[in-house]
Amino acid sequence: MLRTVLSDLARLRLNGSVCSVTQVREKGHLNRPRLRNPYWFIRQQRSQTDDQVTGENRSFIKEVIHDTYGTPALIKGVQTYEQKQLIKTNELPVPTEPWTPAVRRCGVIARKIGQYPLWLKNGERIRTTLLQVVDNHVIKYIPPEEYKPTQRPNVHNLNRYGCALVGAESTNPAQLTKEYCGIFRDSGVMPTKNLARFIVSPQAALAPGTPLNVGHFRVGEFVDVRGKTVYHGFQGVVKRHGFKGMPASHGVTKTHRRPGNIGGGGEKGRVWPGTKLPGHMGNRWRISKGLRIWRINTKYNVMWVQGSAVPGSTNGLVYIYDTILPLRKPQAAPPMPTLYEQPEDEAPDDIWYEQVHNFKDESITYKPE
Amino acid sequence: MNINVRILTKSVAQQYAFKRIVTFSTKPTQQAAAAAVPQQQEVTGPTVRKPIVPAHYRFVYPEFLPDPKVEWRNAVREKLERLDMLDRRRQIELPEFYVGSILAVTSSDPHAAGKTSRFVGICIHRERCGLRARFILRNVIDHQGIEVVYELYDPTIQKVEVLRLEKRLDDSLFYLRDALPEFSTFDENMEAEPLEEGAPVPINDIKVVLRPRPWLERWERQNLLGVANIEQYIKDKHRKSAEKVQKPWEKYDLMKQYRATIPEEEQKEIFAEVHTELHTLELQRKRNKRKRTFVKPKHLA
Repeated sequence: MLRTVLSDLARLRLNGSVCSVTQVREKGHLNRPRLRNPYWFIRQQRSQTDDQVTGENRSFIKEVIHDTYGTPALIKGVQTYEQKQLIKTNELPVPTEPWTPAVRRCGVIARKIGQYPLWLKNGERIRTTLLQVVDNHVIKYIPPEEYKPTQRPNVHNLNRYGCALVGAESTNPAQLTKEYCGIFRDSGVMPTKNLARFIVSPQAALAPGTPLNVGHFRVGEFVDVRGKTVYHGFQGVVKRHGFKGMPASHGVTKTHRRPGNIGGGGEKGRVWPGTKLPGHMGNRWRISKGLRIWRINTKYNVMWVQGSAVPGSTNGLVYIYDTILPLRKPQAAPPMPTLYEQPEDEAPDDIWYEQVHNFKDESITYKPE
Repeated sequence: MNINVRILTKSVAQQYAFKRIVTFSTKPTQQAAAAAVPQQQEVTGPTVRKPIVPAHYRFVYPEFLPDPKVEWRNAVREKLERLDMLDRRRQIELPEFYVGSILAVTSSDPHAAGKTSRFVGICIHRERCGLRARFILRNVIDHQGIEVVYELYDPTIQKVEVLRLEKRLDDSLFYLRDALPEFSTFDENMEAEPLEEGAPVPINDIKVVLRPRPWLERWERQNLLGVANIEQYIKDKHRKSAEKVQKPWEKYDLMKQYRATIPEEEQKEIFAEVHTELHTLELQRKRNKRKRTFVKPKHLA
């Protein structure tokens, strides 16, 4: 295309001397799209047509899938496949570089599975949200030199962070497109329903195929949880912004839930930007930051996180990161780059933060002074 | 007396059928179970296997059934919650009680003298499920009505005693707030009145006398069975408006009932999971109680 433009321009110049007019119906420069999606943003589901596949062939496909990825299994409370072809965690290289507070570790993909109260040892009741880490595997690590994010980072951060691609919840590859399955080919991980990329420091790089568990985080530390808030549709100001509305009676007509005045006159005679008005409510990405992990269950990969305002609906996907709040960053080194769980070591099922009351303990009593 | 009680429960159940369906997981099935129990006794075919989980468990342990709202359900969360509940129940006896029973709750209180406080009162409401389960106790102390909300699984609770195990005619007794104070006055030093083992829970059909209006709620609209003198205070306009808000068709709304309850199959699954543990705890408690009550006779002369 560039060549044609150049040749056109050359022709223009040539013909200009002869004083004839040639129309150029292009802009004369290349029109590149500004934003390019990463290569893993491709169609996931294959169109489900009746492929005229016989029952025998179908069972053959199933057999192939089981041969390559293992049989279906319930692992840590999540329906998945026992992926025996993956590298064993004890064979993974041990990182040599030490942890510093500036290191960015990988995050995990989780599901918000509900909320219930816990009690502290001083008798205080806290509300917690349960997040289940669902069958996470690292699919690819892109080092900083090769990673080209859609938005070019500033000079300070240029070539500083790599990118880890993490998948969650294995699924039947027969239902996915060939291109989507290709993303997973090199890692040997079974194709997953969900993908997420995490910006990581090169010190915290992870080998493809590494499973990520809840042991990636430790009790008492703080995390940021990112999720898409519940969609409420187009809502008025009473629901969307908590306006008070107007009285139901006392001569009020037709303005019970309306916003009322939205701007002044004179010099400011317009609606100012940012005015709270009706509109779409929810369905936005939000991060609740600095939530403490009160308790961890390693058997079901569940963590109990402070508060009941984690964005998203129950059974919805959320992404968990180490917190970026400077005063809540961990003091001691967290598992780097992640905790490799060994099948032989016997970790307790439930790990409680020291301040939390364990339900197996006796009732809370206060000492008389 | 037993037959009497059964007839009573049946009549109560029939009246219940006209009531609004509350979003409490066991309520609408209560009548079904009451009707089903005598039938099961009659049918003694060789093929009918006795269910392992007793049918009354869903009334004794209603908080083990999760919230029936589909969007909020998750199998793993419910399981973890049940495990925590069982862990707590191993530490403390949380006895069977109903709305209308008289309880004494001893709990740790950092502000009380001696760091514990004991409150005696009638249970006027029971709600929520899982670790969030809670109940309200009401009593009148020094001419002042007092209500305390207790969370069943709160670890600051040291002891829950049932002083009088009985039911009332209604699902919740909020109308005691508008009743004469003697109906919610209970002696703080009341002795426990144990029931005979295996006896059905008696239903107290006492009718409460309300104070004149104004009331906290429009009781005339709620089809209350345990109130004696509503008619005395309402006028024609109240009667008419009460009739307008009645929803007599709701008892035919199967979908509504389905959404407000956990299906029986799921209930069975849930209780099959916790049944053995609960049963052993029950037996253990019973044994300990017997030990405690047994007093060695003194050898006289």
